[in-house]
Order: sequence, then C-alpha cells, then structure tokens
Amino acid sequence: MNLLGALSLVLALAGLGVGLPALDRALPADRPVPTDRPYAIGGGVTVVPPPGSRIDVTGTRPTDDAGTALFRLGPVRYLITVRRFEGDLATAANGLRQRITGTPGYQVTGTELTVATGSGLAGLQGGYTAPGRGGRYAVFVAGGRTIEVTVSGADLDLGRTLPAIDASTRTLRYDPADTG
Amino acid sequence: MTAESRLRSDRTAPVQPGADPGAGLIRLPAFWIVLALVAAGGVRMALVAGRFLGTYPLATLTAIGLFALLAVPFWFVLRELDFLEREPPALLALACAWGGLVATTVSIPGSAALDDLVAKLGSPHLAADWGAALAGPTVEEIAKTLGVVAIVLVARAQVNSVLDGVVYGAMVGLGFQIIEDIVYALGAVALAGRGDHIEPVITTFLLRGFLSGVWSHTLFGALAGAGIGYLVVRADRPWRIRLGVAMLAVFGAWASHFLWNSPLLRDGLGNGALALLAVLVCKGLPPLLLVLLLVRAAHDREADYYAVQLAKLDDHELITPAELEALKSGSRRATARWHARTRAGLRARAAVRRLQRAQARLAVELSRGTTDLGPWQREARRQRRILAALGHPEAVAPDGKGPWRRTASAVFTTALAIAVLWAAISTLGGG
Repeated sequence: MNLLGALSLVLALAGLGVGLPALDRALPADRPVPTDRPYAIGGGVTVVPPPGSRIDVTGTRPTDDAGTALFRLGPVRYLITVRRFEGDLATAANGLRQRITGTPGYQVTGTELTVATGSGLAGLQGGYTAPGRGGRYAVFVAGGRTIEVTVSGADLDLGRTLPAIDASTRTLRYDPADTG
Repeated sequence: MTAESRLRSDRTAPVQPGADPGAGLIRLPAFWIVLALVAAGGVRMALVAGRFLGTYPLATLTAIGLFALLAVPFWFVLRELDFLEREPPALLALACAWGGLVATTVSIPGSAALDDLVAKLGSPHLAADWGAALAGPTVEEIAKTLGVVAIVLVARAQVNSVLDGVVYGAMVGLGFQIIEDIVYALGAVALAGRGDHIEPVITTFLLRGFLSGVWSHTLFGALAGAGIGYLVVRADRPWRIRLGVAMLAVFGAWASHFLWNSPLLRDGLGNGALALLAVLVCKGLPPLLLVLLLVRAAHDREADYYAVQLAKLDDHELITPAELEALKSGSRRATARWHARTRAGLRARAAVRRLQRAQARLAVELSRGTTDLGPWQREARRQRRILAALGHPEAVAPDGKGPWRRTASAVFTTALAIAVLWAAISTLGGG
C-alpha cells in the first residue's frame, strides 16, 4: 500500500512535469496570420508580418501595456518583444546585447548599424552567432517602451528569409492611442 | 473540559496522537522514493542555481541571502503554531525541500506547458490575460499538495490533527515560495540586461517578499494541507466526505492563487500607492482571513485535546489550572512569558518557556500512552523550582490590563509593517 501510494505520487508528478509538456508538444503551435495588414503586438506597437509567415501562439502574448509576437518562416524565428523601458536607445541596445551574449555560446558579431522604420522609429541593428545558427537583432525605443526584434535560424534559411523580415521590421509602428 | 471547549471541539476534526517515526521510517518504500524525488529535484535546482551563479554571482548570492532571511519570520510563526505537538524537524525540512526542490522542478515546465495549452486551445490574448491565473495555480497547487501527501506516506503517525496538515502544507509552500522568488529575482536580473547588478533582486524582493509575501504559497499550502490533514485524521467520517473536504481545501488554495494571479482589479482602482494597497488587500485578505480562521479552529481543537490529557495528571507542581489555560493559546503563552520577564527578569522568562515546552511534551507523551513520563516530569519540576526561587512560581498570563504592552507592541508592529509596505509600493513606482 505504501509502495502503491508512493508510485502514485511519482505518476502524478510525471503527469505534471512530463505529461503536460508532452501534450503541449503534441498540439501544433503555429497559426496562419494575415500578412497584408498590421498585427498588434501589444503596448501600442504593430507590425505587418512577412509574407509566408505563421504566428506561433506559444511565444505570442499581447497585452495593453506590453507584448510579444513570435512569427515563424519555416525554421526561422522572428520574435518581437515590447516592454516598458526608461532609458535611451544605446542603453536598450546594450541590454539586448548583454542578454544575447548571456546565453552560453552566443556572440555578437560586427558593428551595430542605425536603422529606421517607415513610421520614423529610429533603431540599432546588429548580428550574432550561436552554435549551428546565426541571428540578427534590432532595437527601437518609443513612448517609454523598447521594441526588440530578434531573428534566428540556420545561415542558409536566414539568407533566404532576411529580406522579407527586414521589410516587415520596417513596418513597425508605435501608436500611443493603442496603449492601455 | 469546559462548555466552550466542548463547543469548539465539536466544530473541528479530532486529534489522533501518533508515535515518533523513528528508524522504522527507513523500512518504508515511500521514504526512499520521496528521498529520491527530493534528490532529483535538488540536482535540477542546483544546475539552475549553478548557471545563475556562474553568470550573476553577486545577484545570485544576494537573492539567496535576502529570500532566506524572509523565510525566518515564517519559520518562527509556524513553529509557534506547532508549539504543543512539535513536528520532527527532519519532516519539516523534508516538507520544505519538497516545496523548494520537487514542486518547483515540476512546476516550471508544467506551468509553461499549461500556459501554452491555454494559448493553443484558446488564444494568445486569453493566455496573456488569464494564462498565469490558470496555469500557475493548477500545476503548483497540485505539486505542493502532493508534498503533504508524501509526508503522510512517509510518516502517517505524525499527521494526527488538521493543524499538522496546516503546518506541513505551509512548510511545503514556504520552500516553494523561497525558491520561486529567487528564480524570479534572477530572471529579472537576466531580463534587465545590465550584467551582475542587484537592483532587480531588490525590486523583486520588495515586490514578491513584502507586497505579496504574506498571501502567497505559504498561505495556499496551509489551506491545502488542512484538507489533507482532515482526510487523514477524520477516520470517523465516510470516505467520500473526507475526500470532498480535502478537495474543497485544495480548490480553496487554487482559488486563492487564481484570484491573486488574475487580472481582476488590475486597473480597477486607479493608480497610486493607495490604489495598489487596496488591490493587494482586496485580493489577499479574504484567503488570509479564511486561513487564519481555519488555523484558529484547528489550533483550539488540538489545544483542547492536549489540555484534557494534562488535566488528568492533577499535579499542580507539573501544571496548575491557570497554566493549563495559558498553555492552550499562543497569545496567552507569550503573555505568560512576557509577564514572567516583567515580574522576575529574563531568567524567569526562559524558565517559563522551558516549563511550557515540558508541559506540552508531557501532554503529547500522555496522549501516546507512554509509560515512562519521568524525563518530562523532572524537567517541569526543575523549571518550577527555578521559577519559585525567582519569586514567580506560576507561569500564568494575567487577566485584565496585563497584556496592554503586548497589544501596543502589536499595533506598533502592524503600523510599521504598513509603513514598510507603503515605502515598498512607492519605491516600485506605485506612488
């Protein structure tokens, strides 16, 4: 009886720690997303998704105040994060770089370039490498928020999709009227 | 037993005294399985801690230090609650380890998966608004409640009242709360992207330690633990009633956690420190009051039971009727110690504490049917002689105006706590 009770305990724990993640993995995470109109990321920020992309609902959490949106173009991840921030663009870029290089094996490459969106948001953009994959990051500051863009995937896939992603990034727009 | 005590005894579950677990524990398969689970959780959390320690050594050590300090007042409150029939420290440590190592290890992937499932089966908007309220409580409350079940499997005889369930549940919750807070604090350090800085740790400490520390996992765990305690000790009730009460208690813990994590009232009371304080009180106070009432009832029942055991002795050198009354209540025990200090100094205070401990132990051994009560009787008589020599022969709590200083002290402490809370809210930008 004691053994049975203990084994039931293990089974219940396994259900929570292994079963739930397995069930989560068994269900598809991506959904179609319209690529001809702006998508609300949260915190008053919108972006037009790249053609052929799908939204990953596990990495997408829109709220009035902040939000994240994760798009997938095949094996390439295109993540946009909006959150409250008090500081300038250089500080925001430095914070993002530190978080990227804080992951073991990740290194920032080359120099940062200035970028701008079609709506006039000014930002900084750079690249990074990781074991078996590469990436691109960009950061913007608007309305007391940072808009962080990270793109990651295998070099070959990145080369193929980056033009569409760059075009999408240029559609980033911040509208204070949409904030909570 | 008085009419009042009979009444309050009728309201709650009985006490079923059990023997010390002793070495027989290691013959139970559950003991080794639970130990293996704790060890596996320990390895997992050590790996997490090691990774943080390598990247943010100062922030990690600060977080561990601050949140470990936060555990101290909780520990003292639980030990005072547990005064009459002390739980073995090893089992309390096991409960705490379950919460901090096993429940957290399971909850991190489990909650994330359930949050994702809310997004998949509902929508990202639903997950953003209600994911934390649905996923966290569902996985975490089950994982923590299993910790109390583990204690029952390992040492059934030690869970012999609803209060024991409360104590073990709260210990599981405390372990979970401390480790979760440390992980949150270090997550905030990583998110800040400014390297090994301690500001995010301090902010998390103020936010999770002060603002939400009281109505957090320790409280939820206590509620669920009470249900398991009832399930175990109320053998006189039909199985379905006991199971129903246990499930209701776990649901109560889940609902309290759900309310706390929910977006309800997030913007409803406006901005500023006062509004934030009002939201905290609205969300946190109902479960806090519920648990306090429950604990009071369970404590009274246990106190009544042991008082009856001691009254059988009819030996005023061991315990007088007035001391019996004082022993039954945590506040009267503390007042008796305070009274001894004011009348006869610190030595008398220490002697009263030791006398109360000896009397409580005597009650437990009487209830277990122990034949040799000599060691505890000798200790009680020894402390009685010390008190007599100090001119304060009886460990009583004075009636009337005696405890006014303690009342004033409680009011002052509450005011200080509110001031600290206010300062914390203002520091975090609420004011």
